[in-house]
Amino acid sequence: MGRFFNIWMRELGICFLSPIAYVTMVIYLGLSGWAFMQGVERNVGSDEPLQILLLASLFFLLPILVAVITMRLFAEEKKSGTIETLMTAPVTEAEIVLGKYAGAIGFLIIVIAPGVASLFLLALLSPAIGITDIDMGALAAVCAILLLVSALFVAVGLVVSLLSKNQIVAAMAGICVNGIILAIGYMESLLPMHAGKFISYMSIENHLLDFGRGSIDTRPVIFYASTTIFMLFTAIRLLGLRRWR
Amino acid sequence: MASLTGKRKRDNNTGSTCAGFIFVQSVIYMIKVANLTKRYGRKTAVDDVSFEVKRGEIVGFLGPNGAGKTTTMRILSTFLSATGGVIEIGGMDIFRESMEVRRRIGYLPENTPLYEDMRVIEYLRYRARLKGLHGASLRSRIDKVIDSCDLSSVARTIIGRLSKGYKKRVGLADALVHEPDLLILDEPTIGLDPNQLRNIRSLIRNLADRHTVLLSTHILSEVEMICERVLIISDGKIVASDTPANLVGLIRGNPRIITEIKGDCSEIVRKFEAITGVTRVSSKALAQWNRIVCECEKGTDVRSEIFRIALQNGWDLRELTEEKQNLEDVFVSITALENGNGQTLK
Repeated sequence: MGRFFNIWMRELGICFLSPIAYVTMVIYLGLSGWAFMQGVERNVGSDEPLQILLLASLFFLLPILVAVITMRLFAEEKKSGTIETLMTAPVTEAEIVLGKYAGAIGFLIIVIAPGVASLFLLALLSPAIGITDIDMGALAAVCAILLLVSALFVAVGLVVSLLSKNQIVAAMAGICVNGIILAIGYMESLLPMHAGKFISYMSIENHLLDFGRGSIDTRPVIFYASTTIFMLFTAIRLLGLRRWR
Repeated sequence: MASLTGKRKRDNNTGSTCAGFIFVQSVIYMIKVANLTKRYGRKTAVDDVSFEVKRGEIVGFLGPNGAGKTTTMRILSTFLSATGGVIEIGGMDIFRESMEVRRRIGYLPENTPLYEDMRVIEYLRYRARLKGLHGASLRSRIDKVIDSCDLSSVARTIIGRLSKGYKKRVGLADALVHEPDLLILDEPTIGLDPNQLRNIRSLIRNLADRHTVLLSTHILSEVEMICERVLIISDGKIVASDTPANLVGLIRGNPRIITEIKGDCSEIVRKFEAITGVTRVSSKALAQWNRIVCECEKGTDVRSEIFRIALQNGWDLRELTEEKQNLEDVFVSITALENGNGQTLK
């Protein structure tokens, strides 16, 4: 536990040591804030809930943000050779993978959290919307779905990073794989009825809309939790496999 | 060499006869490698290698590039698995008791990989915690390694800004921080300037009191300076294992005495040929001096005799040396032999 915590804290701390983290943070928050503003301006008079506009603005860059955060997790260690000192220390593969995962999730939350706050900023600055107009329950559901999707995306990014020595390759592959997961939901209309229905259960867009309206369904929770655990398990096994090459 | 490996094989066989003997062996031997093989696909990197390292020994691991040194060290450090063979470190199997073994080894990989964006003290603290140290013992161990590796002036510097020599020392401090029984150092002196080299060497020599050290290097004079024993690996096989002095003795042919002397050349040659033990004398004139090379029988030293003759005849003598062969000659001769174009050892 102590070693897991140690790796976690280093991974989180290291994010703030490189300028890339700050650049990513500024670009992400700038773009998502701009998107939120655009969404609000274009929907003046419509009955589109504010939290869905917020969710859309925070989500559209998420695959890229995740790829930028996860690309270095293992690719950097492999390139610089520090993986050798890491794996010869008395640490288990699970501690390494989970520590790095927790560090990446932690940093992602730190980046996204100010984005959520822009809803409150809008309520404070706009004469038309008050703090009481914000649906807190629905906002909590929005945060929950963002966290669930991020958990899966980061786990996928971690596995991809483990497979590559080059950070850029890891980032590109991460964007592609997460993009495919995102795109699966859109295949619903292309497939015959039963297959299409099955696919709709995996549609991230549907989950986002459901949660955005404030309805928390346990099926997506189980879907994201199980696929995330599967990805992390894969990562632990892949890391262990390195010794046998 | 053949007799040496033969003896070792016999030791191996008797080692497994009774439990008490195995216990004694595990106390004596820090590393026991038996029939280690590592294949990468079709390529065999390490081929049926067996050797032992006693506790408290400093052993040099020599070999040309691509001979399997790094692979062997990576396997010993538990970074890689072996295709076959048994390896025990401190009496424990490195595959079954991997965690316990890792607690007892300090490993410095080739090229000293470090987290370049951390400060030295942060890095050492992180690594020490990773190796299970905490609280007061963590602080005292870090203070100790910073002191012994002479890092106090750069403790707050970002690792990426350090010179190569300092980076090496940070790597070494990391390997030492948990007081391991065994240190595995893969080319600890590569790329250092002569001053840094000297520092690292004396540091390693000082470690020998409390640790067993296995180090690989290309610099042969270094092995002669630091190591008590040398393992030479070539093409994935151990081709020699002995003290540096014995290895040099192994390939030493007949001794050759070189003298530079002033006097009548033919007279000198005649007198030298009369010395017992001298088999052949050749001469070469250098202005007023003669350079005489006496080839002698094995095990003889005729230098004092030559000096006496020069004194009796009133000849001026400005050089009198026995041609020395060093570990470099051994290395070249053994590894070239493996490639099929060298001289035989026996």
